[in-house]
Amino acid sequence: MADADEDVSHLGAQEGAENDPTEEAQDFRFLDKLIGGHDVAHLSLPKRGEKDFESHSTNLQLDTLEASRRAMHGVLSWQRTHTQKNHILAQYHPETNTVCVDKVKSQHFQTIGRSRGGKEWLLPEEALFMIERGSLDCRWPVKKKEGDEQSYKTEDGAPMSLQAAYAAFIGYEEGVGGKLTLEMYNVYAGLKRSGYVVFRTGTWNEDRGDLLINYSNSQVEGRLGSNIFTRFFSEIWRRISQPSYTIAPANLSFGPLIKPGLYQSYSDVFRLMQIIPTHDRKTPPSFTLPPAAENPFRVHFDVYRTTSGFRKTARGTPDFRICVINARETPIPTGAQLNDLFAQVPEDRPKAGTQHYQKLKHGCRNVLLAVVDNGVPSYIRVADAPFDEVKIYERTWTGPRGKGGRGRGGGRGRGRGRGR
Amino acid sequence: MATETVASGPASTQSEPPKIDAAVPNGQKSANSGPRKPRQKRPNYNEIHVKPLPLDVHPLPAFIPHNPLSIVRIAITLLSHSLRTPNSHKIVHKAYYSEDTQSIHVTDPESIRALWEQGFWGKGSLSRSEPQWLLAERRRRGIEASTASTQITQARREERRQFKLERAKAQREAIEQQLRQEGKLDADGTVNDLVEDGIVAESPRGTIYTPEAGDVVGPTGDSIVSEVDKSIAEKAPTWGEDGAADAEEIKDIEHLQLTPEEAFYLTYVLGALDIIEGNFVDGNTALPAWYLVRLYSAYALSPIDDAAIIGLKKAFQYRERLAKKTAALPSTQQIAPDNSFLLKYVVYHHFRSLGWVVRPGIKFAVDYLLYLRGPAFHHAEFGVQIIPSYSHPYWSETPERIEYRKGKESKDWWWFHRVNRVQTAVMKTLVLVYVEVPPPWDGETKQDAFGIDIGKVLKSYTVREVVFKRWSPSRNRD
Repeated sequence: MADADEDVSHLGAQEGAENDPTEEAQDFRFLDKLIGGHDVAHLSLPKRGEKDFESHSTNLQLDTLEASRRAMHGVLSWQRTHTQKNHILAQYHPETNTVCVDKVKSQHFQTIGRSRGGKEWLLPEEALFMIERGSLDCRWPVKKKEGDEQSYKTEDGAPMSLQAAYAAFIGYEEGVGGKLTLEMYNVYAGLKRSGYVVFRTGTWNEDRGDLLINYSNSQVEGRLGSNIFTRFFSEIWRRISQPSYTIAPANLSFGPLIKPGLYQSYSDVFRLMQIIPTHDRKTPPSFTLPPAAENPFRVHFDVYRTTSGFRKTARGTPDFRICVINARETPIPTGAQLNDLFAQVPEDRPKAGTQHYQKLKHGCRNVLLAVVDNGVPSYIRVADAPFDEVKIYERTWTGPRGKGGRGRGGGRGRGRGRGR
Repeated sequence: MATETVASGPASTQSEPPKIDAAVPNGQKSANSGPRKPRQKRPNYNEIHVKPLPLDVHPLPAFIPHNPLSIVRIAITLLSHSLRTPNSHKIVHKAYYSEDTQSIHVTDPESIRALWEQGFWGKGSLSRSEPQWLLAERRRRGIEASTASTQITQARREERRQFKLERAKAQREAIEQQLRQEGKLDADGTVNDLVEDGIVAESPRGTIYTPEAGDVVGPTGDSIVSEVDKSIAEKAPTWGEDGAADAEEIKDIEHLQLTPEEAFYLTYVLGALDIIEGNFVDGNTALPAWYLVRLYSAYALSPIDDAAIIGLKKAFQYRERLAKKTAALPSTQQIAPDNSFLLKYVVYHHFRSLGWVVRPGIKFAVDYLLYLRGPAFHHAEFGVQIIPSYSHPYWSETPERIEYRKGKESKDWWWFHRVNRVQTAVMKTLVLVYVEVPPPWDGETKQDAFGIDIGKVLKSYTVREVVFKRWSPSRNRD
């Protein structure tokens, strides 16, 4: 919702000078496209216009408002139909709480389902999503009486209503391990509708996700020594110019860490001051908490951007990993929970040569949290930021934004100031 | 909900910019409509703040391979360094701990300048950050002519306000024009007539009808319109009225105030600040760093335990006088491992030692702001919020501890979003710093229970920085 506001186009502003009410109709013609018998492929949702915050009783404003209402009403009352060609029949499988599709017909199956035994099987969220958008006709299995030897086909079963589908798929998933909660389904459906490809991470059978260890950390050491003399002199130069300072135990205990004396550069001083241990991001991660099904901080979905060559059998590394959190039940993560969550995602460092700020913001591991409050998700990107790897004191760079220069701007909207 | 229409007033407003100027009487033309004044030349901050720390370093001359003489210069420098070792600590500043304000006061003008210029420590007690009271006061009295940064800010705000008023006025005129065309308004009528007739309701926000232009809007009771009128009437500058004749010497009544974390860093890490006992800077002896830990920690408790502080002071005096090491430490005086001074100090130390300029972030709903080089050079990029973390098994051993830990760790998502929204509004990035709290370390029975091995204590905490940023599905699709 908020995002839509930010994306509002300046439709009204482009139209130029018009105070003539007769010209106003032009603004709504594009809405008529939605209602009229136009090609379905070219339909698009109406863009929102400028906001008026109060009524000023001009006919112009009233007419515009009325026309907007009519256009919206027209869009909403447009009748949507299903064609026989795209009718997909499927049968509910109570034992596994999954759905078995008889015949795969639509493009949707490029990004959902998995085939087993020659048939396509849908997970609860996939089935529910398809039922909800009207693409899937799911049938209950026929209850057989004793001695009834007749074999029934899928279409003999009773159709599953949307209410029934919600009741069947949400919160009940025997034999599959983890449960699909309403929050997870909200996030799943929301991302699918926004055009992402979403799959479950792993099988959800275990109490927590798998530990991901990256072996890419093999650092190639080995200085290229050109010849023995240059190396000899460079070593002498290094010793002269960068003497190694140490802190005496008494100074560490009672201060000052930087005892009065000769220091050749501020970098030496800063190096001495670093005594607070930080989380070691170089060694492979490990879990701190015992596995527990009730720990909500685990990666639930792998999210992919839509690409042309996507194949669900060879999905590759996901673009995003999402953990779904119920905002009302779970507070912000504790250090241990966050550590375990980061241990489930692979290392994803920024490209070499990235600017410092960007490097810190990108982090060396990242995961998305979808915090859902009663159906409203808020997405947060959480990144493990290696501040200790960015030595600000070396001053090898200048910041991207100077201060007090000319040319403010960049900020959109009215009167957006900037604190300091 | 606000009414949404596809095209309306603002569009037509933008199409007629000349009307805005035409409507403003020449006498009331605002300052910003004239040609821009040349910008004030800024002081050379690179020169003023050349030292990142209140210490001196003595670098070797540069080695230039094709200039053999540079080796000689290096040799001379090395020789002179070995003969007479230069000192990094030219002066040690003096300050005292003010128990009433719970901050550290630096009153010597030279120390104030030095601490501000060399690492942006503290803030002026009468200024927003840099101690500028004397300068501002001189300017206020007209002794010094140029403008201070606060005045620039003020002028800019005024400019912005003026712009908004004019924009609102243009909108309002567009509406009036429209109403006239529709025949709802006489040729010389205003929207106000309609408001008075009850045809148009004035909104509480008054965005449309406020535009102040004296000739158009008459005072309408106590509405926002008249409030704006008044504020504009008072806008006339009052500076310089006391006259430049009053050129007598002004006594600088401002001091530099340091937070306990800043002061402790200067004392314990850099050895550049002595905290003096009592409220007088001269004469008395400097307090030892370990005692300062106890003092700052005791004052960081909420509510402050007065009895414990008195006990602490007595014990310290007793120990100093008899030069005797105390064996036992009363439990009320023991420092809890998650004492807020310690947690804040650990994070402060961490970022300072990496070269960031760390300043308090209470105005931005966080604990700290991180500046690159300092506030004179860049805006802060990160807002740091400390989250204590109790991952150590000690904190899960008994139900009481688990209960305690949960109370400290749990912050709900509404809190988080409040903080994060503030950060985005001021274009900063929120960093939650998780500090691993060790099991209690104070009061072990050892020879000197009162003293603290500060280095050992600080090393028992671990920090982990995590950047949180809002993510939007519609913006990350490709």
